[in-house]
Amino acid sequence: MLDGQSLIGKEISGCEILTKVAEGGMGAVFKARHKALNRIVCVKILSPALANDKKAVTLFLTEARAIAELDHPNIVNVYNVGKEQGYYFIVMSFVEGQTLSAMLKKERVLPIGRVLDLFDGVLKGLSVAHEKGIIHRDIKPSNILITPEGRPKIVDFGIAKKVDKEKGSTKTTELAGTAYFIAPEQALGKDIDTRSDLYSVGASMYYVLTGHFPYNGKNTIEIIQKHINEPVPDPSKLRTDLPGWLSLAIQKLMSKNPDERFQTAKEVYTYFNKMRAEEQLRVQTMHGRATVNLGIESSLKIAKEEKHSTDSIRKMRGEDVYRAISSRFTKPGPKTPTQIPQLDELSADSGNKPPKSAPPLAPTQELVPPKEVKQTTVPSVSSALAAINMRRQAQKLVQLILLLPLFLAFTLACGYVFFSLGKICSTYVSDTSSFLYALFSPVISGQMAQGQLLYSLLAVVALVAIFAISFVRVYSKNSILLMAFSFVSYLAGLFTPDVTFGAEQISSYLFSSEYYLCYLALAIAWVMSILFRFNRTWPERILGTSLILLCGVLAYKASVLSIPPNLDAAFVKILLACAVLFAIMAIYYLISTSEHSMILPTVCLLASVGCFYFYNISGMVHNLYTTTMTLAEVIPMPEPTSEQKKALENEMFLTVSARNMMSGFAATKAINYMSPEEKQKTLNEWIDRYAGALIPEDARPILVELLSVYYMNGKARLSFRAWDYAISFPIYNFNRNARNNNAYPFLVIVLFLMAGLNCMGGILFKEDL
Amino acid sequence: MSTFDIEFAAVTDIGKIREKNEDNVLISSDLGLGVVADGMGGHSAGEIASSIAVSVLAETIRKINSGSMQIPETFLPKLAPTERKLLMAANLANAAIYSTAQSSDVYKMMGTTLTGVLFDKDCAIAVHVGDSRIYLYREGKIIQITTDHSLAMEHVRRGLLSKADADKSKIQNVLTRAMGIKKNIEFDLLKFPIKAGDVLVLCSDGLYKGLTEQAIADILSKEKDLPIVKLCKHLVRVSNERDGQDNISAVVIKIMQPQKVSFGQRVRNLFSRSS
Repeated sequence: MLDGQSLIGKEISGCEILTKVAEGGMGAVFKARHKALNRIVCVKILSPALANDKKAVTLFLTEARAIAELDHPNIVNVYNVGKEQGYYFIVMSFVEGQTLSAMLKKERVLPIGRVLDLFDGVLKGLSVAHEKGIIHRDIKPSNILITPEGRPKIVDFGIAKKVDKEKGSTKTTELAGTAYFIAPEQALGKDIDTRSDLYSVGASMYYVLTGHFPYNGKNTIEIIQKHINEPVPDPSKLRTDLPGWLSLAIQKLMSKNPDERFQTAKEVYTYFNKMRAEEQLRVQTMHGRATVNLGIESSLKIAKEEKHSTDSIRKMRGEDVYRAISSRFTKPGPKTPTQIPQLDELSADSGNKPPKSAPPLAPTQELVPPKEVKQTTVPSVSSALAAINMRRQAQKLVQLILLLPLFLAFTLACGYVFFSLGKICSTYVSDTSSFLYALFSPVISGQMAQGQLLYSLLAVVALVAIFAISFVRVYSKNSILLMAFSFVSYLAGLFTPDVTFGAEQISSYLFSSEYYLCYLALAIAWVMSILFRFNRTWPERILGTSLILLCGVLAYKASVLSIPPNLDAAFVKILLACAVLFAIMAIYYLISTSEHSMILPTVCLLASVGCFYFYNISGMVHNLYTTTMTLAEVIPMPEPTSEQKKALENEMFLTVSARNMMSGFAATKAINYMSPEEKQKTLNEWIDRYAGALIPEDARPILVELLSVYYMNGKARLSFRAWDYAISFPIYNFNRNARNNNAYPFLVIVLFLMAGLNCMGGILFKEDL
Repeated sequence: MSTFDIEFAAVTDIGKIREKNEDNVLISSDLGLGVVADGMGGHSAGEIASSIAVSVLAETIRKINSGSMQIPETFLPKLAPTERKLLMAANLANAAIYSTAQSSDVYKMMGTTLTGVLFDKDCAIAVHVGDSRIYLYREGKIIQITTDHSLAMEHVRRGLLSKADADKSKIQNVLTRAMGIKKNIEFDLLKFPIKAGDVLVLCSDGLYKGLTEQAIADILSKEKDLPIVKLCKHLVRVSNERDGQDNISAVVIKIMQPQKVSFGQRVRNLFSRSS
C-alpha cells in the first residue's frame, strides 16, 4: 500500500510519482512530475484505510474541489482530484520552500514586519476560503508554506480532518486541530465557524513572534484545557519590541469567546495594515531622519536594543494601541521611534532573503503536539507503590514473628508424636525382623502395646494436619519436609529408642555409609523441594542439577558393599546404564520449563537412586545365590522315607498349604518333611559337614534360610529371597549401627533445621505469583 | 481465583446502523476474567484491534497462570501478583496491537478501548483504557468504577463542561487514551473489594448511550431473578431500542456466595495448583 515504496515510479493522473515527501494519518504526500506539463507537482493520496469509507471519500473529493475553486496566491493550488488505480488523489502545486515553523526554527527570531507581511498573506488567503464557507480547522505555522519569494501559502485544508469530524461518533484518538493552536470552542467540541481559524491565526502569530506556544503543558489534554480555561497570555511579555497594538490584536484574536474576536479575516488584515501605515506615518513625521538611518541595521540588533525598553514604555504603548483598537481608551501615549526602522527594514528584507533550499514541507497531519511528554506505564498506581511496599515489608515481618514459631512448634509436636509412636512400637522389633516388617509391625501384630492406640491416633491427626497445612499458603512448600521429618522421627523411635545424643559420636561417623544414607535422604528432600516449584529460576535449576548429581554419588556411596557388583550379568550393566540415564533425564526435566516438570524429574531421580542401589547390591545377591547353589550341589539330599510321607499325608487333609507344598520339586526332598526346628538343625549340621571351614559364622543363618527356601520352592524363589535379603541389608545394617552412631537423631535435627529455614525463607522471600 | 462463585455473561450486538461490529467481548470463568474492547479505525481494523486486545489479554493471563510465561522481575515488582499479571497482559496486548498497526497502512490508525476485570480472592482488579465502562451495582445502587478517557470527560473533570453538555459534545468520541496508538500507554488499574450479591457491568459506549446509569440500575434491580445471560441480553436489547447508533456490548458478572463444593470438585481442587 502506501507504506512501502510501491507507489514510487507509478503514474497517477498523468503524474509520475517521484518521492514521498510526508506522511500523515490520513494519507501520504508525494512529489511527482506532471508529464504533460513537465512540471513538479505534489500528489496527496488518501489513506487506503479511509478509501473504503464512502462518506469519507465523498467529503475528500467535495472539499478538494472547493479548494480548487479558490485559486488564490496564498492558498496552495489544486490542479486535479479524483480516483485512479484505486487511489483517491489530489494533485496540487508543489511549493518549493519551507514551512513557517521550519523557518522559525532556523532563524529563531523573525522581524516583526516580516511576520506581519506573512500573516497578511495568510489572512488574505483565509478570507477567500472563509467567503466560500471553507474552514481550515488547523491553522498553524507548519501548515503555512513560504515560497522562495517569501509568499505564504496555506496548505492542508483540513480535508482529512473534516472527514474525521463528519464520521460523527466514530471513535478516534485525534482531535481535529493541533493542541497548541486550537480554538476553545473546537477543543470543547462545540460548533465551529470561520472565527475558530482566526483564533488559530492569533495563536500562531503569538508563537512565531515570541518563539513560545501561548499555552504549554505536560500533555495534550492539559494544553487543550488551558486554551479553554486560562487567561490569554500577553505576547509582549516575551517579546518586548512588540508594538502594543499588535500584542493587543493578538490577544483579541485569541479571545475565548468568538464574539469578542475580530469577526473576519479581512477585518484583521485591514486593521494590521491600517495600524502599520498609521505608525509609519506618525514616526516619519516625528523622526523622519531616523527612519532612513536605522533602516539599514539588521533586525536582530534592533530586536536586542528593544529588549532594553522599559515596562513603562510598553505600558504606554499598550494603552495607545488599545485606544486605536477600540477607541474606548482616552489616555494617549507617546510613540516610540524604535519601531519604525524595524518595519521599514522588514519590508525591504523580506524580498531580499535568499530562498532557502530546505526540503519542501508538505502538509502534515500530526495532531498531537510534538513535545509529547513521555508517559510512564502506570503512573496512576505508582504513587501508591511506596506505601504498598512498606505495608508488605511490615506484613512479612509480622508473618515471620507469628507464623515461624507456630510452624516450629507444630513441627516439634509432629516429631514428638511420631518418635513416641516409634518408641512404643520398638518392642515389636527384633534383630532378625526385616525392615519393612519392623516398619509395619505395629499394624501387623494383633495386640496393642501400652499407649499405642493413643499415639497412633495422634499420628494420624498429625498426618492430616500436615496435609491440611499444605493448603496454607506460607506453609505450603514445607509439607514434604514435614513428612520426611515425621517419618525419620518415627524411625528414630522405632530403631534407636534409647540412644542418647552425643556430638563426638557423630563427628567420627560423618563419612560412614550410614551417614551417606542420611545425606542422600536430605539431598533428595532438597531436590524435591526444588522440583515442586513452578517457574524455577536459573540458579535454582543449576542447584537442582548439582544436587541430582550429588544424589547419584550418595546413592552409590551409601549402598556400596564389600562385595563388588557382579558385572558378568548383563542386567547389572543395564542397571548402571539406567541409573545414569535416569539421572540425566531428571536433570533434563529439571532444566526444561515444561508444565509437567514436577512429577517426571522426581520419578526419574528416585529411579536413578534406586538403580544405583540395586547395582551396588547385585554383587551380594550373586554371591548369596551361587554359594547356596554350590551348597545344594555338594549336600546329598536323601529322598523322604515312606513314614515321613505318610505323616504328611495325614496332615494334608487339614492344611491346604501342605498339599501345595508336596507337589513337584519339593516333594523329593526329605528335609521338607521335617519340623522347622528340625530343619534348621539338620541344615546347620550338613553345612558343617560339607563346607564347614568355608562358611563364616555370621553368614550361616542366612545361608540356612536360603537353602531351606531353595529346597522348598526352587531356584526362582531362591533368587527372589536373595534380592530381598540384599535390599534390606544396608538398611538392616544402618539400623544396627544407628544405635552407636546417632544417625537418626542427626537426621532428625538436620531435617528440623531445614524445615525451619524453609519456612522462614517461604515467608520472607515469597514471590507471590 | 475468587472466594466467591462468579457467573459471567457476555453479549455483543452490531446496533441499528453500523455495518460492522468492532466490539469484542470475552469471559472466562476459569481465569476469572471478563473483558470488553471497543475497536476503532477504518476498514476492518477496529475489529482486529479489539479482537487482538481480548485474545492477547486472556492468553497472556492463561500462560502466566500455567507457568509457561513469566513476568519479568523488573516489571512493577511492587504490585500484587494479580495486578502485575493483568497489567503485563494489558501491556502485551497493547504491544501486539501497536505492532500490527505499524505493519500495514490499512491498520495504521487502529486502536481499541480495553476494560477488563480479573477476580482475585475477595477483590476485583480492573484494567481500563478508553471510554468503555465498569458499573458496580450493589444493594440497589450503581456506581461507575472507571473514568472515561475521553476528551469530553477530561473537560468535565476540570469543570470546563457539564456532564450533560459532554453527552452532546462532538468531542465525545475523541479518546485521550487508547490501546494500539502508542508503544507504551498508561493503564488505569483499579482494585476494589467485592461482596456476594454484587453485579458488575462492563460495557462499551454503545450501551451507555442508550441507557443511563439509573436505567441500568433499574433494569438490574427489576430483573434480578432473571438468569444472568438473559439479563445481559435484556440490557443490550433495551439499549439498542433506545439508541442503537453504535455497536453495543455488555459483560455482566454476578458475584454469589460460594455454593457447596461437591466431593469430586474438592478432590480436583486438591490436585489443582495452588496459585
